[in-house]
Formats: sequence, C-alpha cells, structure tokens
Amino acid sequence: MSVSIQGSANPMSDLLLQIVIYTLIWGSIYLLISLGFSLICGVLRIFHLGYGVIFVLAAYLTWTFMEDAGLGLVPSIILMILVQCAFALIVFYKGVFQRYLEEEEILLTVSLLVFLVIVHLANYLFPVTAGVSIPSTIIDDIVTIGGITIAWQMIIAALVGVVVTAIYVVALTRTRIGLVIRAISQNLPAALLMGANVNRMYYLAMILSVIPPTICMIMIAPFWGIDPFMGMPLLMTAMLVSILGGLGNLKGSIVASYLIGFIHASVSFVFVPRFMGFAALIVTLIVMIYRRGGIFAGETLW
Amino acid sequence: MVNFELRRDRIVARWRDKKTEWVIEPRYWRNSTIAITCLFILPLFLYGFPHILTMFTTANLYAAIAIPLALQLLGTGRVNFGPQLYLGVGGYTAALLNLHFGWNPAMTLMATILVCAAIALILSPTTWIAKGLYFSLITLILPLTFLDITYIWGDIFRGEVGLVGMSPLLAFKKVTWNYIAYYYLSLILMLLYLLVCDRTVRSRIGVSMAAVNENENVARMMGVRVDAYKVFFYVAPSILTGIVGWFIVHTFRTFAGVTYLPLEFMAKILIIVIIGGRAFLYGAIPGAYLISIVEDSLRRLGPVNYFVFPLILIALIVVLPRGEGLWGLYKKRRPRDYFPKLHVRRE
Repeated sequence: MSVSIQGSANPMSDLLLQIVIYTLIWGSIYLLISLGFSLICGVLRIFHLGYGVIFVLAAYLTWTFMEDAGLGLVPSIILMILVQCAFALIVFYKGVFQRYLEEEEILLTVSLLVFLVIVHLANYLFPVTAGVSIPSTIIDDIVTIGGITIAWQMIIAALVGVVVTAIYVVALTRTRIGLVIRAISQNLPAALLMGANVNRMYYLAMILSVIPPTICMIMIAPFWGIDPFMGMPLLMTAMLVSILGGLGNLKGSIVASYLIGFIHASVSFVFVPRFMGFAALIVTLIVMIYRRGGIFAGETLW
Repeated sequence: MVNFELRRDRIVARWRDKKTEWVIEPRYWRNSTIAITCLFILPLFLYGFPHILTMFTTANLYAAIAIPLALQLLGTGRVNFGPQLYLGVGGYTAALLNLHFGWNPAMTLMATILVCAAIALILSPTTWIAKGLYFSLITLILPLTFLDITYIWGDIFRGEVGLVGMSPLLAFKKVTWNYIAYYYLSLILMLLYLLVCDRTVRSRIGVSMAAVNENENVARMMGVRVDAYKVFFYVAPSILTGIVGWFIVHTFRTFAGVTYLPLEFMAKILIIVIIGGRAFLYGAIPGAYLISIVEDSLRRLGPVNYFVFPLILIALIVVLPRGEGLWGLYKKRRPRDYFPKLHVRRE
C-alpha cells in the first residue's frame, strides 16, 4: 500500500519539506514522551526522575506477558498498563513521593535509584542480545511525500501523540476533575481550603502520567529500537521539553516539543545527526537566559 | 623530663611549666583525630591486600568529590545534580594534554585548574538564572551531554574505551609501594579538601553561606554579596572536583567518560552526601567508605550487582535517620551547629 505524493525536484525545497515533516512527526512524539512528566511537574510540583522507568516497563512487561505468559498483544498491553499504574502508585507515589516530599534532594535521588534498579534488572533479565521487540506495527508500509520517504508507523505515532494531547487538554480544561487538578497546580493551600481532595487527585495524576509514555512506547517500538537503557535518552528529552516549556505547563510543553523537534530535524538534515541533542541543550540554555523559567513560566498546568 | 599523671577521666602531661591534657572519657574523645590517625595507619595492616588499598583509595577520591559538593550545595543554595561534569573536564584535560602533548603531571594540573575554572565561570551564571529545580535539571543534563560529546568525537575522547597510558604521578619499582603511595596521596588530597572546606564553613564566610542557603533575599539585605558568593562557590568546588579528575588520570592511568559521567556515578556521589549527613563535610568520609566497601563487596556477585547496588543504596536511605544519615547516629553526643536544608524547589 505504498503511497506516493509527488513534490518538486528542487533540493532546497525538498530539504525544507523534510525539516517541516520531521518537525511535526518528532514534535508530536516528543509531546507524547513529555506529557506525563509535565503533568507530574505541574500537579505534584516535583521532578519525576524515575519517569524513564515507564518506558522500560512498557516494553519489557509487554514482552514478558507475550513471550512467557503466551498472551496476545492487546491483553499483554492491558495487563502491562495495570502493572504500570500499580508500580507508579505503590513504588513511586506511596514509597517515594509521599515519604520524601519535604526532603527533595532525597526524593530525587531515590527516584533515580529506582530507575537504575529497573534498568539494570531489565538488562540482567533481557540483555540486548535477547532481541526484545513488540509487534505493534499498525501499517507496515512507507509513504513518499515530495521525495521524502516516511514509515506509516511514524505518522501514526505522531497522530496518536496529537490525539492523546488533545484529549488531555480537553480533560484538563473542560471537566470538573481537570478544574480541581488545575486548582491544585495553581495554589495548593487555596485548593485545600476549597475542599479539593488533594490526595485523590495526586493518585489520579500519577495514573494519568503513566498513560502517554506507555502509549508512546507501544507506538514507537517498531522503529525506535528497544534496549534496557532507552529510558535515559527519553527521560532527557522529557526533561528538556519541560525545562524549555516551563515546568509543569502543558502549553509550554506543546510549544517546546515542536521547537525541539524542529531543532533536531534542522540539525540532523542540515548538519549531522550526532549534534542534535547538543544543539537542543544549547538552545534550552539560551532560552533560559532570556526567559527564566522557560517559554511559559507561569508554573501552572494550563 | 615529661611527667605523666593518670587521673580518673584524663591523662595529664607536664613538662616544665607547660601542661597538656588528654581527656579519656569517650564522649570527649577527639574523634576526628582518632579517625584520621586510623586512616593513616591503615596501610600497616593492609600491606598485603592491594585490592583493599585500591578500594580505600577510591573511597578517598569519592570523599574528595563529595566534600566540595557539600560546600557547593551550601554556598550556592542549589542542589547540583551533575558534579561529575568537572571530574570529566579535569580528567580529559589532563589525559589529553599528557597523551598528545607530553605535558607532565604538574603542567596538566595547572591546565586542569585553568580549564575547569574557565568552564565553571562560563556556566556559573546558571546559579543566578536557574531557580531550584531548573538548576538541578540543567546540572543533571550537562554531564550527560558531555558524555554524548565523548562518543561524538570518539577519535579524540575514545568514547567507551577511554584514554589509557597516561604518565603516573609516582612510580616505585615495587608494585605494593605504589598502592600504598596512592592511598596516602588520595588521603592527603581528601584531608586537604576537608581542611579547606571546614575552615571556610567555620569562618565568617560560612555564616554568609548559611544565610545564602537559607534565604537569599534576607542575606542580600544583610549585606552579603549573594551573586558573588554563588559564583565563587560554584567555581571553587568545581575546580576541586576537576583536580580529582586529574588525580584519577595520573593514578589509575586510564580515564573513560563512560565510567565517571553517567547517572550511576552521580547517584553514588549524591548518596555519599546524603547518607553522610545532609551536606555535612565530615559525613562525606564515612559515607564514601561505606559506599566504596558495599560497591566492592557486591562486585563478587557478578552482573546481579548492577541492580543490587542501587537497591542497597535505597535501603540505606530508608534505614538511616532521615536527612541526617550516618551523622544522625552520632549526633546525640555532638549536636551540629547548623543543619542546612537543601532547597531543590526554591522559587
């Protein structure tokens, strides 16, 4: 089902088209990667340095349920999401965040240590040679737009990113629960005075933060490549997006995701791909100099 | 003629009209003196165990990284999550200059200090710009970016393999003597750092540091030059960390970013600062020794140790008194004058 959309033969316009397309695709995927991280930042006002665990668990739990328990892809994914939510609530929320909320340096360090435990455990159980892969390809084909070839799976992953973000934005801005979450994000004491059940909202935020990266991992698994240490670059991307956009601000995260997508695409296609991470960091630092607190420095969820 | 007199709680030594007393009741023991003496006589008992000496040399180096970090946490009022950046900068500066230009260790030391100072100065405005969490995150990302660079320019930094064959600081004919010499050198380096940092914290500057750490606005109002303090206490500990990198290069004669720049190494150093007692300079030493011993003991477990080690670190944090770490077990006898709060989320 290979689709071809003819474009110009001009190399310059091809390059521009390539940058635009990959900015949109990568930006949407980065949005999916960073959405949960921003949500935790915005609601709990903490940095979830164990966020990378979600990606690792998503890949390896699905694989374990499929290979060892002999389940199909969909039941494995459903079971994996349940385990992910339980892990986020029991280990991270009850075990770390609630316990060390006032001792932030310990909170961050323990979150990071939990991440390291899971990463190394995954590496011990499933080393790279184990050949872990998730058959979550929806359309196994390519599309050619103006001379640029893209895998359908990338386009679908980008579309899913946009849809999931839109659902989250609508849920946070149009529903009563969203209103309470935003109130907690803006002013915790005031939200408590108004009768908000903060603890329940924190639980909800933890569960909501797990879903986008899990969906992201399932969508990108066919073309991203799975290894036990993949959580680190993904965590770094989420952190960069959050810092650039403004801690815990979803508007900022949306803008920053596409901005980082643009930086990565430009540097990759105009210069060399190996500099893209470095370039994004430099741009983030420059933005930080001129706009302390990122692009949307309000420190509210929306 | 010196006369010794044994009393119920002390030994008194008299020489002419001078008198010196040594309190022997345990709660008045000069514990730091005893601990340092123990560290100095340790090689006499461990002469035949070079791997243990290497483990303690590593512990001294961990402490030498953690002590300036504790000073930096207080002086800048921010939590640096990437102290290993300067370890990498210092190490690579020394290694590259030694390998490619044949510079001797004294020259590479000067270059290390200059390069670390220059980079720290360039990055020091982040202490003004970045608030709380932003600072922690930027400092977390910087060493990882540097690690990326060591892979990007693999022909210079030798990526995963690292640089090898740098000239040693000392070279004795007998191998055991080398182990002992490097143990003593690392111990002296660590104690020197402890002395400098301790004097700084106990001085008038230390009071200003505490003010900066507690509340920058109040400190400013009281006449403390907060911005200058933050730059100084970002740059100076960074140089001290860089010197440890230089020491590693000329001691172990190998240096790879993949060993010192990843999160695992950073977590180790932060854990030393935390379990030693929050930003407590002396606490860094037992913290470093504990971590080093645990790490070395677990190596025998094989690949399992990679996830058992962070598990044990988590257990240590949970079990030890909150925030006060090993110091908390000791504090009943010696109350700490100033117990800082580390601010990550500060606005």
